[in-house]
This record gives sequence, C-alpha cells and structure tokens, in this order.
Amino acid sequence: MKTIMDLRKDLDEKKVTSDELFKIAIEKAHTYQDEFNSFVTIMDKKEEKESNSLLSGIPYALKDNFSTKGILTTASSNILKDYVPVYDSTAYKKLKDAGAVLVGKTVLDELAMGGTGTTGHTGIVRNPWNKNREIGGSSAGSAAAVALGIVPFSIGSDTGDSIRKPAAFGGLVGFKPTYGRISRYGLFAFASSLDHVGCFARCVRDAAIVTDILKGQDEKDMTSLPNEDIKYTDVIDNDIKGMKLFYIKEITDKTLYKDAGEETLKILDKFKETIEECKKLGFTVDEVSFDDNLLKALYPTYITISSAEATSNNSNLTGIPFGPRGEGGSINEIMFDARTKGFSELIKRRFILGSYILQRENQERLFKNALRLRHIIVDKMNELYKTYDAMILPASGGVAPFFDNEIDRMSDRYLILENHMVIGNFGGFPSITIPNGFVDDMPIGINITGKAFDDAKVLNIANKIEDKLGYKGLIKEEYDV
Amino acid sequence: MYKVTIGLEVHCEVKTNSKNFSSAKNAYSEYPNENVSVVDLGLPGILPVANKEAFRKSLLMALALNCKTPDIVMFDRKNYYYPDLPKGYQITQETKPVGVNGYVMINVDGEDKKIGINNIHLEEDTASLDHFKDYSLIDYNRAGVPLLETVTEPCMHSSTEAIAFLEALKGIFLYTGVSEARTDKGQMRVDVNISLSKDDTLGTRTEMKNINSFNSVRLAIETEIKRQKEVLENGGVILQETRRFDEDTLTTHSLRSKVDAVDYKYYIEPNIPPIKITDEWIDEIKSEIPMLQFDRINKYMEVYGLSRYDSEILVKDKAVSDYFEECVFIGCNPKSISNWITTSVLGYLNKNELDIKDLSLTPKMLCELIDMVDNNKISSKQSKEVFSKCLEENKEPNIVVKELGLTQITDDKTIRDIVTKLLDERPDLIEDHRKGKNTFDYFVGQVMKETRGKANPVLTRDIINEEMEKR
Amino acid sequence: MVTKENLKDYAAKLMFDMDDEGYERTLKEFETVEKHMELIGKIENIKSVEPLVFPYVIYHANFREDEAKDSLTTDEVLANAKDTKADQVKVPKVVGE
Repeated sequence: MKTIMDLRKDLDEKKVTSDELFKIAIEKAHTYQDEFNSFVTIMDKKEEKESNSLLSGIPYALKDNFSTKGILTTASSNILKDYVPVYDSTAYKKLKDAGAVLVGKTVLDELAMGGTGTTGHTGIVRNPWNKNREIGGSSAGSAAAVALGIVPFSIGSDTGDSIRKPAAFGGLVGFKPTYGRISRYGLFAFASSLDHVGCFARCVRDAAIVTDILKGQDEKDMTSLPNEDIKYTDVIDNDIKGMKLFYIKEITDKTLYKDAGEETLKILDKFKETIEECKKLGFTVDEVSFDDNLLKALYPTYITISSAEATSNNSNLTGIPFGPRGEGGSINEIMFDARTKGFSELIKRRFILGSYILQRENQERLFKNALRLRHIIVDKMNELYKTYDAMILPASGGVAPFFDNEIDRMSDRYLILENHMVIGNFGGFPSITIPNGFVDDMPIGINITGKAFDDAKVLNIANKIEDKLGYKGLIKEEYDV
Repeated sequence: MYKVTIGLEVHCEVKTNSKNFSSAKNAYSEYPNENVSVVDLGLPGILPVANKEAFRKSLLMALALNCKTPDIVMFDRKNYYYPDLPKGYQITQETKPVGVNGYVMINVDGEDKKIGINNIHLEEDTASLDHFKDYSLIDYNRAGVPLLETVTEPCMHSSTEAIAFLEALKGIFLYTGVSEARTDKGQMRVDVNISLSKDDTLGTRTEMKNINSFNSVRLAIETEIKRQKEVLENGGVILQETRRFDEDTLTTHSLRSKVDAVDYKYYIEPNIPPIKITDEWIDEIKSEIPMLQFDRINKYMEVYGLSRYDSEILVKDKAVSDYFEECVFIGCNPKSISNWITTSVLGYLNKNELDIKDLSLTPKMLCELIDMVDNNKISSKQSKEVFSKCLEENKEPNIVVKELGLTQITDDKTIRDIVTKLLDERPDLIEDHRKGKNTFDYFVGQVMKETRGKANPVLTRDIINEEMEKR
Repeated sequence: MVTKENLKDYAAKLMFDMDDEGYERTLKEFETVEKHMELIGKIENIKSVEPLVFPYVIYHANFREDEAKDSLTTDEVLANAKDTKADQVKVPKVVGE
C-alpha cells in the first residue's frame, strides 16, 4: 500500500492530482463506512490550501476529538452529538496550513475513555483484518481508516495507549512523541497530564513526516515544548550501532505466564525473535528486572489519575453554552438531564470513580498515592535511560480481541502485559508501536519507548528495526486497491 | 457581653488588558458577550494560558500586604457546577497562593491595629447572571477576568474595624494600581464571617457572601451581630451556615448549612506548568510599591506636623498625596500646602468633578503662588483670585498677577512718599489724631486708594505710624 | 465502606443519574480499585515521594504577555447555545446565592 512518500512522488510527477486522491479517499470512506464505521463525518468538500510541505495534497483522517471550526466534532458522545466548534485545534490548523486534505473525522471510544472502539455514540468500529474483532481504541476510527487504505495517515490522541494499542491491532505504526512536543490545544481533554497527540501511519518515515509538521511550541498550550531545530526525517536513517535497548523480564518472561493462552505465548516468542534481529542490527539488548509491585500498580495508577482528571475536564458538558439542552424547569434539572442523557453508563462510572478519588477525604490515599507511584515509576525509567537508549516490549498480550470476547484474561500478569504502555504517558516519553508480524493471521506490534525529548532517537531506532523486520505498509490484501 | 469576631474575604478584579487565562479583552462592556474567547466559554479542548501582568500585579499586591510569596507559580482547580461557571471548575490558588501570612495596618479612632492576612490568591471571575421574572440570562464578558481574593484572619471585632480594613485595602489596591476597586461596578465584593463568644474561644461562625458596598457590609455585620446575640441570649445555638443579607428589611436568612457544604475537590491545574518566581522579579516588583496611605499619614503627622484629619484627606487619593509631596519637595511649607490643597484645590476639583491629574496648576505653580503670599507680594485675598484665574485661563500665577496688576507695593520709599504727601495735605487730621480721634484709618484708606489697593497693608500702617510720630 | 446510596449521591453531585445496575457495576469497580490502591499504599516509603503532577519537570513554560486579542464574535459565542435571548444564553431562572 502506498505511503505518504509514494503519494508525494505521484503528486509531484503529476501521475495523480490531489483532487483525485481526495475523491478516491472519500469513495473508499463511504464504501467501507457501513461495514467498519471508521467515521463520524466524511467530508463532502475538499479543503483548498496548498503548500510546499510533504503533506500538501495528501489525504488524512482526524480523530473526532480535535476541534475543527465549522465541522461537527462529537468526541463520539451524545452530549456533543451536534456540536460544531467555532475554533481550530492547533494540530488541525497545522495540517491545514501544510496543505494536508481532511477526509473525515473518525470514531473514538466515547470521550476517548476506553480501549475497545466499541463505545462511540455512532456504533462500534471493526478491525479491517477481521471484522469480528476490535481494532482497539480509543483512536479506533483513525486506526481503521489507515488499515483500510482510505488514508495514508491519521491523527489520534493517546492517554494510556490509545494510539499505540490500535496500531498494534491494525498492523500500523502508531507514534506519540514526548508530552508537549505537539500542542494539545483543541484536543478535547480526557486526562490533561497524560493526554498526547500523535499519529498513525504505514511506516516510521511517514510518522516522522507527520510529526515534523505537527510539532512545535504553541502559545496556546503552556505545556508545549520549545522548537527543536531538527527534522526527524533527516535523522531516522542514522547509524544505531552501539545503542542499547532493554526489555523488562517481568513482562516478557514466558515462564511467568503459566495460565496464558497459546496466543500470548506466540506473541512472546515472536518478541524474542525480534530481539535477536535487533542484536543482529547492532543493538545491545539487555533483560532488566523491574519491581513487580510497581508493574502491578501500573493499571490502577493509570485508572486513578485518568478518571480523576477526566471528571473535572468534562464538567463543562452541561448543555448550557453548548451541547444538547436538557429538559426541566430549573437550572439544575436541565444540567442534570443533559448529563444523564448525554453520557453512557461507562463514562458515568468513570466520573463517579474520579470524583470519589478527588474527594477531600480520599485524595491523599487515592489520588496523591497514584501520583506518587507515577513518580516512582518515572524515576525508575529515567534511571534506566541513563544506561539505555530505549525500552522495547510487546505492544499487547494478545491479538485484537473478538467483540464477544468475555473470557477472563484479567490475571495480574496479563494486565501488566496488556497495559504497560501507560508508562509512556506517565513520563511523557516518546513511544512508538511498529508491526511485528502476525499471530493467528492477525497483526501484532512491538513498542519502543525512549527518554523524554528523545523523539528523534526513538524514530531512528524504530525505523532501523522496521527496515530489518520488513513489516512496512501492511494492509490486508482485499483493501490494497 | 459578647465578643464579636469578624473575618473578611474580599474579591477584587485585577486591572489588565486581557483576561487571566485567555486573550479576550478585560473590560467592562455594555454589550453582552463581546469580550469572550473560546477559553472563557469553556469549550471542549481549550487550555488556560496564564497572564503575566495579572500575576505580576498579584505579587505586587501580596508584597504590599506584607505577605510571603511562593517560589513557583501554581494554580489549582476548584470543581463545582453553577451556570455562571462554564468550565465546571474555577482556576484558583489553593496549594501555593500568591501571598500568605501578611498584614495590613489600620487606624481606628486614633489607635493603630494590625489586621492579619491569612492569604491572598489569584483566580478567575465567573460569568454574570441577569435575573428576570421566569428566566435568567448569561453574559460571559466577566468570565475569566483576573480576580484577587484577600482572606483575613478572624481578627476584627466591630463593623468599624471591618470598614476601616476595607478602606485600607481599597487604598492599597488604588495606590498600587492593581485594581480600580470600584464597588459600584462590582469590581470589589466582600464575604463576611461573624461569630460571637463570651470568652476567647471562637464561637460558631456564619457567612454572608457577595456584599457589594462597604455600607452594606456595615449594615450586614450589625444586623447579623444583633441576630446572633438574640439567639444566644434566648439560649439558642448558632449554626454554621451561609446566610443572605436582605438590605431592605435589615434581616439575614439561612441559605445553606455546613452539612450541605460543597467539597470542591481541589487539585493542581495540570495545564499550567510551574514557572519559577525569581528573587530578581520579586525585588523588581517590591521596588514598584509606593509608600502606602498608613505610612504617609504617619509621615505627614510626624514630619510635617499636620493633623490626622488633614493627613487623611491628603492621602485619600494617591495623586493628591503625590501632588502634595511634590510641593513639599519643591520646598514649599507643608502646612501652607496642606491648607491650600485641603481647601482650595480639593474644593475646586470637587466642584468641577475633576481629578487632580486634570489640574492645569502644577505643584511648581502652586508653590509660586503660596510663596507670593508668604512673601507679602500679594495678599491672601488676592491669591484666591489669582488661583481661580490661573485655572480658568490656564495660565501661570506670576503672569496672572502681572495681568491683574496685583503685585503689592512693598517698597518703603514709594509708600513713604505717598504718606508724606497725604500728611502734608491734612495737618488738621494729624492734630485730631493727637487729640485721640481715630484718623489713622483714613490715611490707610487714602494710601490704598492712591495705590489702587496694591500697597502692602502691614508696611503702610507701619510707615503711617512712624511718620505721624515724627510730626 | 462505600454504599450504593453513596454512589447515587456522588452521581447527583456530578449532575447525572443512571439505573440501578449501573450503580451495582460501579460498586464492583470500586472494590477492585480500592483493592489495588491498597497495594499502592503499602509500597515502601510511598509517603515520602512527591506526587508527580506533570510528566517531567517543565522548565520551559512561559507566561502570556498581557495583550488583548482572540475574542469571538457574539454570534460565535452563542453559536452552540440552544436557547438565547438579547445576545445572551437563556436558562431557567437561577435562584439561590
């Protein structure tokens, strides 16, 4: 399937026009919509803005929690089902200015809170590799749109692993750079201290191209990082000889997974094979041990912090200055009605939990302890980064799950394997998932996470490994048209 | 006898060009919803960006209140639902207020008193609600305007002290230029906490919120003291609650009790990273704090020998006080200047509803005018005429004096020549004078007539006396 | 111990309600989270650690200069409000404070 660079070449050589690319993308989007439900909104008009950037004329999809002036933005929630923003998010604005062409706004788990792609208000998103399986979330539609070949890249947001997990399930590259590298202005907040903007692409180089466009300090986001004077595309081919990687024994050691299914064991085997490939490439790769108690605490820590922040961040959804107006005779009744009708139960449960965590009498024991644990883990990682250039781990403990999959995979060990990528959000570390082949005909991924600000290095490492593994531009045969 | 204890929380809007966390204009507007940004509206995806000037002015105020300032900038979220709060939380300061443990000096009935400041913190104002018969309207112009909340210790014991504190605080806001502190525009709003007790332990307190004028504060305090006294005297207990003051009926009534108190679930605002507050910045801000009213009053009394009454009038408006001090600096007699300012200058300004900034008469000119009187160049009566003329015609005093031909004749020879001539003409009257008849005033009058009033009266009398003696 | 009644109250304070099964499910989630957080509380020296609010120490943040710009038009302010009057957002009469 064609990458951004392939399309760039076609456009530059006038083999195709951007109008044609847009038309093809829109047609595909419509064709696959009923079956896979990638989009909340498919554009009917092309944005006419051209530039000299590599993305000029290239179609893309944007997660429906990025504010787009004049274009419906729902966050896949009923409480925003007819909300049309009056301002542009910085990410969208930068892409528009670069001449990238918006194809549509993609479905997410409601308010980006979820990892299945099944909780959006317009229905579930299906995995292009197997319709009976999830694509994962929360950036479900953005992952599916690339996996279906509708667009060569798409934009997502990542609070726990909302880009990097669906990327693994969809056979894609999913990258979230360092916290602050890309402005969050206009991204509907889920958990502000964990939220990242990032992208899906078919190869590491494309992810670097997109990130080069998106990155940069933004006066509208105080947490955005100062500009760097490098282009990631210039450094991703650098020599990696002598670089040191590590993986965590407690997450990858097969002998610890006594009750695990065949699939998990295959994924762990595949991971070890890839480690051998990395060594052949010239990396030093060590197995390190990580305090098991800290690993077990990863997921609860994530749930605690993210639910607390989410409760507060979504307090603006009352149906007063925007959103569907609730019914009732008093001001409280209308707010109450709007919120009762506007959120699904799953969201409400998270909010109740979050508000409980923030209650005066619980803050110390719940919220602050979670933030303390976050500190311990980030410190531990930074300690390791003194010796190592990056961490490498399997992106998931299984392939994309079936929709009706209610089997109990929630053993403590499995929970760690399934949720360790939150480490990247805790420390704001640059983190990328790249395809690592297939298990049971479904794509799997590996994740590479580096030190904060080391975005260039992470992309460099990922690009080299991708070259070696050869899983680039993956797409299921029937969509490769 | 009950001991009354009062604590105050004073909200005051900070004067800036833009809002606290957005770039929308911070200005009072007649038109609703015209100074509103996406941030103030709490739209999905917005982020706060802290205003440097709002923070600088807050530090300035904190330092003027003798507070300890924090090492870093930090804000917290206060979470609650109300239709005037679009984000569903207010960005405020709980963890690291811009100032803690300060004090303000006040003077009540001639006695100095220190009012403890628990903390002063920067937050954002809410939208304004306009209520009609069966609906309310929301205007977001005010949403996000920087708001400083000053929280006192419960250390005041009468409405007089509370008002004296509010006046002092308002004075500091005005002197530092942090706020215009206009109660009539709702820029300054007061929450009052009151408790009564028979001994030194604090009684149960009640709170009254959002009182808009100092006079209402006084009435509210007195009303609530009376109510609590009655309850206690009848063997009742005071409940910890929020009460509403009804100014029309001079009563207070319960709004909600402590049990219903909201848990605001404060936590650190994650979108505003810590910014270091350097010692250099603090020193720079400190150097911008002018001498404040309390100290000026003491200086005027102790150094210039003015009365407290006059000193208080002079410091009421900083510009007037600065004007006074410039005159003193030029070298003018402080008492004369004080008399001039408190009577003629302020009288003129009040009458014409002007600010001292609008006064065409500079301190230098006023000093010249006063000098002319002190040096007998013009009479005190003439000086008033000159003063008016200067202001009416926008001219300097010496020019007006010349134009009016008002310069006094203080030359001995000129006056003596006239006196000699007059005495020569009327030897009969000299004779009458010797016989005890008062003809002296006749000669004074004649000299004035001859000189068209310009002869210095004191000198004239002396010379007439001398010349009559000679004959 | 948190009860279903507590949860109903928390929900009410967050301005929503849900059906009974929802509260049952929430209660179960609470148990899991409490159990996990109990483990975290037992981690050695946890109390001596500073809570980490930001992913890393942010040195680069700056204030905004005090310049007025970026206001919406009144039409934009009201664009998404479902009920307006006299260029303001109209709501049922707010009583109280």
